[in-house]
Amino acid sequence: MEILVCVKQVPDDSVEITLDKSTGMPALDKVAVITNAFDGYALEMATRFKEAHGGNITVVSVGPEKARDTLRNCCSVGANAAYLVNDAACENSDTYGTAYALSKAVAKIEAEKGVKFDIIFCGKETTDYTSSQVGPMLAEIMDIPQVTNIIALDPAEGGLSVKQETEEGYNMVDVATPCVVTVTKPSYDPRYPTMKSKMAARKVQIPDITAADMGADASLMGEAGAKCKVVKVFEPAKKEAGVKIKEETVEETVAKAVAMMSDAKVF
Amino acid sequence: MILVYIETAEGKAKNVGLEMINAAKALTDKVAAVVVGAADEAVKQAASYGADEVITVNYEGYNTDAYCYIFKALVEKYSPEAVFVGGTLDGKDFAPRLAAKLGAGCVTDVVGTKKEDGKVVYTCPVYGGTVLNDMVVESPVAVAIIRSGAFKKADPLDAAANVVAEEISVPAEELKTKIAETVKEISETVNLEEAEVIVSGGRGMGAAENFALLNELADLLGGVVGATRAPIESGWISRAHQIGQSGKIVAPKLYIACGISGATQHVSGMIGSDYIVAINKDEDAPIFDIANVGIVGNVLDVIPLMIEEIKKAKA
Repeated sequence: MEILVCVKQVPDDSVEITLDKSTGMPALDKVAVITNAFDGYALEMATRFKEAHGGNITVVSVGPEKARDTLRNCCSVGANAAYLVNDAACENSDTYGTAYALSKAVAKIEAEKGVKFDIIFCGKETTDYTSSQVGPMLAEIMDIPQVTNIIALDPAEGGLSVKQETEEGYNMVDVATPCVVTVTKPSYDPRYPTMKSKMAARKVQIPDITAADMGADASLMGEAGAKCKVVKVFEPAKKEAGVKIKEETVEETVAKAVAMMSDAKVF
Repeated sequence: MILVYIETAEGKAKNVGLEMINAAKALTDKVAAVVVGAADEAVKQAASYGADEVITVNYEGYNTDAYCYIFKALVEKYSPEAVFVGGTLDGKDFAPRLAAKLGAGCVTDVVGTKKEDGKVVYTCPVYGGTVLNDMVVESPVAVAIIRSGAFKKADPLDAAANVVAEEISVPAEELKTKIAETVKEISETVNLEEAEVIVSGGRGMGAAENFALLNELADLLGGVVGATRAPIESGWISRAHQIGQSGKIVAPKLYIACGISGATQHVSGMIGSDYIVAINKDEDAPIFDIANVGIVGNVLDVIPLMIEEIKKAKA
């Protein structure tokens, strides 16, 4: 099967991001960038699917020049080809603008490669904005089915049989291809690249796609095209640290703590 | 008018729907609650928690495409200024697709709303909650996915519902997916979002059997047990208990964090708690920065003593 995985480069989510006091915007300069965790799971799931059933994996990202590194990393852990939608017109798009750009990129890549993608994988959300919107919006724009929050998938008669995680267990969902699936954390972690796979990834050509290349209507993307506008960026009120108790003995420590809890009438 | 989707479970309204009615009332002249499928109890709940009108739709079960079709039909008929949907798995599944279908702007994880210059401003956390964005939606209708627990329900009134039954038949060709099987793996139900007391365990609990201590403490306080990602991944407790960015967002009156270091991922899910007690042997654990009371010590020593002390204090 022909597989597309949509990936986003995000700030390292293990780093606490705060506002830069001088600009009032998130201080991201010193934060390393990584592949969005759920996109990493999506790529690993796609790679396992490819290894079991054959096929090719293309990765695509809408992002700045430095997102090329993320795409290259993807090529060292399963992707065969990569494209970067690299155009100032896409900067600061809202979720719809991003989904729209991806839909145009899908058509462009399909035409260029002479293939049709059967499965389009996305992470269920990104760790920076956590909107969980782009996958379903992409499916709607392309007018194809979606299954969100999946943990496994297999080929089936007429398409795929997909395991969708629920609050209490899972659903088995029948879906025709082409379709969009969004991936949550499966029971495994993404693989690491090897020396050899890293070397091979270095040689992969990652073409740029511009808004003009893919015939995208620039008025639907970027800050001007966004239907959702950010009007204020701020930090939540800080919770003040209370007291830290460490007495001579653990008995004394606990007695003091419980007395404070009792005074605060929390039980 | 704002349409508020009341998601149900076994005929009853999930809390987030009732919370959204209250949030919507402050923003508009009329709140219409939407109940899909037979759920008489949910219809009554919606009315008593403040909905001006309850729209019922005759569709059973959940399907992404059916829900998009139904809500698109309702938006076209009623022309609301916004559709509020709870941030559940189903809500996050259909609401963005609905927004794209309507050409509407969509905001997720809304934790606050206010009206400024006639526009609704939605507050949404980003970067795991360390930064907040105020957003406005510039389309005729907005789709807002609201975080569970972010708003308080109104006090219930003895109000009769003004019910409008909408007959919407979803064409079979609209349905692009089919749920072949639903499997229930987790039999326990943990109502983390409504709990007043949560006793939560992290990696520092050390082993599955030590969670018995947390159960005992939670029972004593009339609370429930939560967990961070690590114990769940180690198989010590089911994922129904997970609190944090990838689990439930909670705001109990009392939160006792046991053997939890305080990573952003987890803290963003419990920072709204009224009173936080942290137990950790590492004096420098970041959890102490947000705790009202920090206890430096080994959880396995501290919790049994705490249980005894609380019993004494309660006696």
